[in-house]
Amino acid sequence: MTQVTRDIDPADARDLLERPARACLAFAGPAGPQAQPVTLTMRDGRYFVAIPESTGVRPEPGQEVVLLVDDGVHYFDLRAIYVRGHAQPAQAPASVRPALAWLEVVPVKTVAWDYGAMRAVDDGH
Amino acid sequence: MGIDDPAARAILRCAMVARLATLSGSGRPSVTPLYFVCRAGHVWLGTPVWTLAVRDVKADPRVSLLFNVEGAPGDGRLLRLAGRATVRTDAEAQRSYVWRVALKYSLSPGGLWSQLAHLRLLPLQRRYRAQSAARGPGAVIDVTPEGVELLGAWVVRGIGGSSGQN
Repeated sequence: MTQVTRDIDPADARDLLERPARACLAFAGPAGPQAQPVTLTMRDGRYFVAIPESTGVRPEPGQEVVLLVDDGVHYFDLRAIYVRGHAQPAQAPASVRPALAWLEVVPVKTVAWDYGAMRAVDDGH
Repeated sequence: MGIDDPAARAILRCAMVARLATLSGSGRPSVTPLYFVCRAGHVWLGTPVWTLAVRDVKADPRVSLLFNVEGAPGDGRLLRLAGRATVRTDAEAQRSYVWRVALKYSLSPGGLWSQLAHLRLLPLQRRYRAQSAARGPGAVIDVTPEGVELLGAWVVRGIGGSSGQN
């Protein structure tokens, strides 16, 4: 039996991390879920995100977060990397303005999808 | 600022993919990119009823939505909307959503062109949708806005990059 999947190896979506069209961090804030746009930088395979210091609500150290980097508008152009992990305070890269608070997203689970790479796969049954 | 503010409306007109942040019943966060349409001051997002987004909204109706301007390179305006959501599976909501989303996406010039460019994938798309339908029907996540923020220009950079909010 086969089934159709849109899932891909996150390593195959590395170009999405090099030129992210949309990147946001989701976490639980005091008033509910927060969707926070972030600046994303990858260093040595690690995910670093920045939020303006002026942002009132930020994840606490160790708090569970989800980083979503996605791209595309039309169906077969839609693709994304979804990283569930924990936020840890991080040092700012030397070259950037200090008005940003940097966090590392330490991944626990990473998945990726690409509707343009849709294919049939053996479902093991 | 409300959803009918001209600045908010201008971004919503140009936005194509909303990012929906939710919490599970145990408070775990998630975020899902979804197609959306605006209707009578509400935001409607479509997704199958079995998805994490729907399960989360049923457990905790509070949501946070991000919208950005598409098709205008360099325009980093973002809109964040906080609200409460309900899950609708009634036929009227489904019909209305499907028609509106088809006009906005698949029947738009860009949508039609994209389908022509991916003709070989259309049979797989039909099978993928049938797989999803076998797990459960479609749902509309109906968001009633409670607060709207204009976040200004935001630049997202990739590997080795840096940026900031203007």
